[in-house]
Amino acid sequence: MKTSWNELRLTEDYLLSRLPGQERVLFEARLILEPELKNNLYWQQKTSELVRTYGRQQLRKEIRQVQQQLFAASEYASFASRIRRFFSR
Amino acid sequence: MANTAIQENQVKDQTQSREMLLMELYQQAFPMAARYMSRMGGSFEEAKDIFQDALVIYYEQVVVAEAAPRQNARAYLLGISKHLWNKRFKEKSRDVSLDTSDRLNIEPDPEYQEVSASRLLRLLHTAGRKCMELLSAFYYEKLPMEELAKRYGFSGPRSATVQKFKCLEKVKHTVKEKSLSYEDIME
Repeated sequence: MKTSWNELRLTEDYLLSRLPGQERVLFEARLILEPELKNNLYWQQKTSELVRTYGRQQLRKEIRQVQQQLFAASEYASFASRIRRFFSR
Repeated sequence: MANTAIQENQVKDQTQSREMLLMELYQQAFPMAARYMSRMGGSFEEAKDIFQDALVIYYEQVVVAEAAPRQNARAYLLGISKHLWNKRFKEKSRDVSLDTSDRLNIEPDPEYQEVSASRLLRLLHTAGRKCMELLSAFYYEKLPMEELAKRYGFSGPRSATVQKFKCLEKVKHTVKEKSLSYEDIME
């Protein structure tokens, strides 16, 4: 079933600890009473965790590209040889 | 969408600026970190590995969360690298210890969860790349909606918000559906 955007937004604010005190208490009370809301919270949390993992993977990919460039491209040859010297002893 | 070319260019600009930042940080801080690790007996590969992790931590804590001033990038990166190196070194020496009094931690096998998470990520990579990028700009890079709108060529923060929730709903649906069917397979 489709979650309403209000619900998505509310759940997101809850997960990002953005709900003010009273609204948070109310939301937590609803979590006890409405299994569907709790179920949604579970999947939304899992989704945002996966998205963060995705974001980190993308960053790692970029770092590897930078690394590759620094140790392979001729314009950085002096940098690369300076580093390699540390490990050649 | 008529403005796809502009969008692509904007996304490219943003990616390039992050790449430039990474390039700068690497050139500034890696020599000192590498020298430290080489003195500690580390290999070139190990040093690159550790430094990659250090950059991720620096990016998440300093660039995104702004938990520390950006000026001392070199000092921070060196500090994080040393810390990670020492941590790994301790773990390594524990690996070879034959002390049988070491207690085994009984925990759920992490492989089980990771398999399905990486499977899901691979799937989302191919099936919903645009949405994943938009969502990760919000959840990982923590960009404000105004910047997010600019980067992806939306008319303003409102329409970016609408698109973000559409994507959240879509990806959440896929995650739920696929997680449940994988669980069925595993059982």
